[in-house]
Amino acid sequence: MAGQWGKNPWGVYKFPGKMEVEKYVYTPGLHGLEMAKALKEGRIVGTKCGETVYVPPTTLCPDFGEGKVVEVSGPWYVDAYTVIRESLEGEKLEEPVVIALLVPEDAEGGLIHYVKAEPEEVFIGMMVEPVFRPAEERKGTITDIMYFRPVPEGA
Amino acid sequence: MSEEKSLPGTYLRERDLQSLPGIVEHRPDVKYLYSAGQAQSMFLRGLKDGRILGVRCMRCGRVYVPPRSYCEYCFAPTGDWVELSGEGEVHTAVVSYISTFRERLEKPEIVAVVKLYAPGYTNKDDEYEFAGMFHKLCGVGEDDVINGRVIGMRVKPRWRPPEERIGSVTDIECFEPVQS
Amino acid sequence: MVSRPNLHVKDRVAVVGAGITLFRRRMLETPRELAWEASKMALESAGLTLRDIDCVVIGSAPDAFDGVHMKGEYLADGAGGLMKPTVRVYVGGGTGVFVPIAAWWHVASGLCRTVLAVAEEKMSPARPHPQGVFAYIWDPILERPLGPNLIWIFALEMRRYMHKCRVDKETIAKVSVKNKRNAMGHPAAQAAGEITVEDVLNSEVLVWPVQRLDISPVSDGAAALVLASENEARRITDSPVWIEGVGWTLDNTHWYNRELAYPRYVNYAARMAYRMAGIERPWREIDFAEPYDPFDYKELHHIEGLMLARPCEAPKLLEEGWFDRSGELPTSPSGGLLGVGNPIAAAGLMKAAELFWQLRYEAGPRQVKKPVHKGVAQAWGDLMQAGTVVVMGN
Repeated sequence: MAGQWGKNPWGVYKFPGKMEVEKYVYTPGLHGLEMAKALKEGRIVGTKCGETVYVPPTTLCPDFGEGKVVEVSGPWYVDAYTVIRESLEGEKLEEPVVIALLVPEDAEGGLIHYVKAEPEEVFIGMMVEPVFRPAEERKGTITDIMYFRPVPEGA
Repeated sequence: MSEEKSLPGTYLRERDLQSLPGIVEHRPDVKYLYSAGQAQSMFLRGLKDGRILGVRCMRCGRVYVPPRSYCEYCFAPTGDWVELSGEGEVHTAVVSYISTFRERLEKPEIVAVVKLYAPGYTNKDDEYEFAGMFHKLCGVGEDDVINGRVIGMRVKPRWRPPEERIGSVTDIECFEPVQS
Repeated sequence: MVSRPNLHVKDRVAVVGAGITLFRRRMLETPRELAWEASKMALESAGLTLRDIDCVVIGSAPDAFDGVHMKGEYLADGAGGLMKPTVRVYVGGGTGVFVPIAAWWHVASGLCRTVLAVAEEKMSPARPHPQGVFAYIWDPILERPLGPNLIWIFALEMRRYMHKCRVDKETIAKVSVKNKRNAMGHPAAQAAGEITVEDVLNSEVLVWPVQRLDISPVSDGAAALVLASENEARRITDSPVWIEGVGWTLDNTHWYNRELAYPRYVNYAARMAYRMAGIERPWREIDFAEPYDPFDYKELHHIEGLMLARPCEAPKLLEEGWFDRSGELPTSPSGGLLGVGNPIAAAGLMKAAELFWQLRYEAGPRQVKKPVHKGVAQAWGDLMQAGTVVVMGN
């Protein structure tokens, strides 16, 4: 691991380094595990505390009690959104990507996810629905949902 | 806690982990570029030239190796640079059988703290502090470490050939016993 | 150089509740869920709810263990800190005992009447081994090019201690034997058991003189305490445990520029805490201790730093059974990190929690034989740098 002498008046030495962790493996947690199982089945769940349901499920309620896992059925709406036009490296994307905070009408909180729609078509309050991957591809993670799409007219 | 009651927490075995849905993996890809700063850059430049440099605090007389730009006790800028002979004595040494990531090493390494002889070091604090380096030892065996013969032994740096030096602590290959 | 704290605090501070999760190699719970489980148990043991808590102090070691940056903010809801004055503190391995210290000044200052003090660590996410994370505590320029393993620094210190104090590995191994045996009474314990000195000496040699059974295990877990001002404490319980002294110091990162056989930073922290507690002869006045024991020799090293024995005297007293649970000055009656486990910050707070349980005579099978009035818990951290000390009494 050789460094280099800086081209500054003090000749300060620069030294390269690297994060030496191969990878992190994160466990889903208690209600997170229920969420993982639900996603595999093409469902979304939340944590019910009193009369309020929180999405994603949180295990603990604001009063510190343990909540109950309940299914969240939606319908979902766009609460806030933004349009991504450049990659992390700053290159222009071929297709812009819409990222939104999606909230089910029967719960608090919401999920951050993609919305498959033209940027000009998206608006706050737009009704959407999740589209899951085929069952055999699901792993119990948030990407089991491919994206949310506008609810078709008249549905 | 006096009554026997089971504590919260759910133990996962490695094989449980593999079959658990919802596991997320992430590979960090983080690179850094460190700056050695003024005092350490001077030190590294010295190593490249085959010299061990220290710096003296003009107030308290401590000699710092590795050097710092300021005296941490007097909170004043350090003063003159001093060249050390490189000789010192082994403060402590151990035998490592594992790598950074805990893999078994084929050939164990001997690692030591070397207390360097610093000219004119006036240590007011009863030898608690000293100029020193952390490095590998060569020319001694595992037994010398285990039976303690190595502690207090006089050692000096074994330098790499000048063309191989890059301005790093590894320009010193190791410290080796001084033949008397 | 020992710090001279202002002894005229506004409020006396008591511990009124404690909670802990299992300590295990790997847990299903997320870090915030672990914090929540321990916090909930601590609140329940004090008969309080989250609404009774004014302020929250969180402690956790490097973010890179859990693999979550801003761990304090991340843990805030699990630690009951939402919409409350909440802070995370960190001094490496010393963090666990620093949590009650920070919680203490929240109350002692008169600012908060009740504080939930929570420590959590989840070391299992980093692969292939959390050793990779430890690589980051080394200096990137002067130390990391040598390819160090964290155990090197402990082995170097242990070797120096053995040399300076003329101690052999057989004696040091007895700390591991004692603590793993003590831990058999601890419901959270991960590495409890009846082992022998031979088992330690026959275990895998990692970095001589350090062998597998000289070291505490890698763990996930959380612990929590509830602290209260004197008025609140007397309302909450008939048997508050008082925090009588706190002390902490930090030495520099240049660990190879100092004598490794004696932990000066622990000694300074201890003197500060004893001064506050009005303790002049700790070796007589302290009834039992929870010195930090991530490695077996460290317990002896820290006993000396805490002035519970003279320099180099701890091994002899250990041989005489002085530090056994039935001895003159029981150390690590909890089972320590060697026996209970080492989820870094949570392990230190577990030691402080043990003072609470012992001083309330609630430690069950772990209760020390002698009557107890005063105990000291201590943690150590960073590159042989940080000392954190708390003295409690009943």
